[in-house]
Amino acid sequence: MAADNLQQYQDLVFDQGRSPWQDAWYRLKQNKLAIISLNFLTVLVVIAVLTPWLAPYGYETQNLALGASGPSAAHWLGTDIHGRDLMTRLMYGGRISLMVGFAATAVSLVIGVLWGTVAGYVGGLTDTVLMRIVDILYALPFMIFIILLMVVFGRSLLLLFLAIGLIEWLTMARIVRSQVMNIRNQDFVSAAIVTGLSHWQIISRHIIPNIIGPVIVYITLTIPSVMLLEAFLSFLGLGIQPPQSSWGVLISGGVETMEEYPWLLLFPGLTLSATLFALNFLGDGLRDALDPRATSNQ
Amino acid sequence: MPNKILLAVSLSLLLLAGCDLGPSNIESATARQILHLGNGTEPKDLDPHTVTGVPEHNIISALFEGLISVDPATLTPQPAVAESWLISDDGKRYTFTLRDNANWSNGDPVTADDFVWSWQRMLSPALASEYAYQLFTIKNAQAFNHGELQDFSQVGVKAINSKTLVVELENPTPYFLSLLAHYSTFAVHPPTILAFGDRDQAGTLWTRPGNLVGNGPFTLDSWRLNYIIRVKKNPQYWDHQTVRLNEILFYPIDSALTEERMFRTGVLHATSSTPLDKIASYQTNDPDKISIDPYLGTYYYRLNVTEKPLDDVRVRRALSMSIDRQAITDSITKGGQIPAFTFTPPNTQGYFANNNSIRYDLAQAKQLLSEAGFPNGEGFPEIELTYNTSDGHRRIAVAIQQMWKLALNINVRLSNQDWKVYLSRIQALDYSIARAAWIGDYPDPNTFLDMFVTDGGNNQTGWSNSQYDQWIASAASETDEKKRYQFFQQAEQLLMDESPIIPIYTYTRVLLKHPQLKGWEPNILDIHPYKYVYLEDSTIDGGQ
Repeated sequence: MAADNLQQYQDLVFDQGRSPWQDAWYRLKQNKLAIISLNFLTVLVVIAVLTPWLAPYGYETQNLALGASGPSAAHWLGTDIHGRDLMTRLMYGGRISLMVGFAATAVSLVIGVLWGTVAGYVGGLTDTVLMRIVDILYALPFMIFIILLMVVFGRSLLLLFLAIGLIEWLTMARIVRSQVMNIRNQDFVSAAIVTGLSHWQIISRHIIPNIIGPVIVYITLTIPSVMLLEAFLSFLGLGIQPPQSSWGVLISGGVETMEEYPWLLLFPGLTLSATLFALNFLGDGLRDALDPRATSNQ
Repeated sequence: MPNKILLAVSLSLLLLAGCDLGPSNIESATARQILHLGNGTEPKDLDPHTVTGVPEHNIISALFEGLISVDPATLTPQPAVAESWLISDDGKRYTFTLRDNANWSNGDPVTADDFVWSWQRMLSPALASEYAYQLFTIKNAQAFNHGELQDFSQVGVKAINSKTLVVELENPTPYFLSLLAHYSTFAVHPPTILAFGDRDQAGTLWTRPGNLVGNGPFTLDSWRLNYIIRVKKNPQYWDHQTVRLNEILFYPIDSALTEERMFRTGVLHATSSTPLDKIASYQTNDPDKISIDPYLGTYYYRLNVTEKPLDDVRVRRALSMSIDRQAITDSITKGGQIPAFTFTPPNTQGYFANNNSIRYDLAQAKQLLSEAGFPNGEGFPEIELTYNTSDGHRRIAVAIQQMWKLALNINVRLSNQDWKVYLSRIQALDYSIARAAWIGDYPDPNTFLDMFVTDGGNNQTGWSNSQYDQWIASAASETDEKKRYQFFQQAEQLLMDESPIIPIYTYTRVLLKHPQLKGWEPNILDIHPYKYVYLEDSTIDGGQ
């Protein structure tokens, strides 16, 4: 750490005191790559939110006579086979991809954390039963599971979030459980029990805050994998349906014509890769920031 | 540790060795006379009496042979199992003499009784063959198929002796011989069918390799699901000297793109389809590898008329009139297809449909829709458009989805289905709008228009009109070609007025074909009797 930074750090520590969160935020700010990624993702989210006002064309507006054309002044990123503006479709696709990424991750987060915490905290037979259920769901081929859900409930975007979330929570539950088991046996938890806190208070005040680090890291890894899963499902006709697009749909369409119209693969591919990189860098940065032991060991 | 390194090294060597595939299929094909064909999709079955699709046709025509076959270039009927035939003066009685040396692949002779037995199977109500109507030109066949007649001996087909077959027709049917070259009229081997189930039972194991007994130039060697179907030359075939190919391999590949890649890397001799975006580049760079030929087929959408809101003819016409077919053929299919406003392709054996019913007219489409109670699409439910998985079908569907959205302000949901699922859903009328294609079975307008008679096996729209049925029946009994075509014109006019279907374009056959492939004559039915096909290196350039 440079001297200036050290001074700041000491000021912070000695003048105001600091919570573990401030501490983490401070450490994160030192990681340039993570901050760039955070800014990039913020911009992406802002664009996604404002797309209906920003997009130069409609995402389904076709111009069959124009067909697939390369980047030009009218269409910055070119057009696809139906003459639809690629930039517009990329922006609308980003809305859906990000929405799926965040919403499905949120679903998996809620279920996974609750499940894992209960299993890890209560232990014993409850733990065995809960974790065997997770094992069984793991063994279930997820495609069949999703197709089943789609057949029973029909196809909708909301269901897609749920379906993906329902699959992704399994690993989350396992990670949380192992963390909780570890923390549960530590002295401060015993102390909390002794002081007469209820189980719920112990879980919410003492356990969950302590597992947030690994959970956040895992989230940043889940979002990209969920986005890829959505692309895969859309490719099979179970996800987003035309004329809507998502990045996955655009890429799978672009692959088919990459020799003739390379821009249809290039731009969606670059966007998705950049986003996945950003999420991974941010995840790395967060891990370092939230888990001081890992940093000091380096 | 050294062991592990050794293992890693040998594994990577193994992988490298795996990359060297040796000569490609194409390079080694000429010497071994093995034909590699892209076949579109996994066939539903290989039973000539229960299938309807082109992928099935391609394989069945290698495994079976009818009484008649067709000349590969001109499509005129030629002797096949039938060595010769006599037609009575009134054109209603055909006497076929079967070849002495026509045998099944297990050595049994092909007899006239086999045909009687097979046609009874084809017509039996319990088998419920969608193609049963192909035989309705035979006396009493329709009544038998509809269960009105129980006694098959009343149906106009008799075996006089083991090699003489007599067929009595309802009407003199000018295309009857061509019909006998279609797989739905082929004979199957009775003992084989009975060994695996009842005569009128569909989907039994008799079509599996080792079980299937056919009488075609090839026999079924292996069937690996979604991978390959291999047929081998049949030494029992009566004309086996003519057959030059030793084997044909059919690859079920849904994706035109994958097919094209396999073609380019020397895995396939010919593809079942061509990626739309690659047509132009093949035409300029490899004109000897692409062929675009007229094709007697129509690309169209079926509308389920039993379902609201498509039960309203005004809605159906509005949908049909708001499709810009020219834009689809110009900008999407790009293979010289012709926009279609009638179902029968123009100049089908000299027949032209009248068309003053359907045209591209947005104003009228809007008006029709509002007359039907959906002004500007208000209150129109979201309907589903089903197509079998293919990039080309999807593109057309996406374009039409948008055309309807813009012109009529209605929302359509696209749904792609696997071939078998797609076929069964359409047969069960479990759809709203479905992509379809019809390729003529023989060169006559009847092969298109008799589909839509009431409860026709390939009608599959729920549409029924007694006037239409009557005109088709009148055409069937008419001998004068001009009058016959007039009946067809009237019927087709009615069909378009009622629009249970939306014709989109008249096909052209766009296929990638290796110059090695010889004896593969272009014809409007895209039928290529494999016994005339062979492989020969024409030039020294070596291809790739």
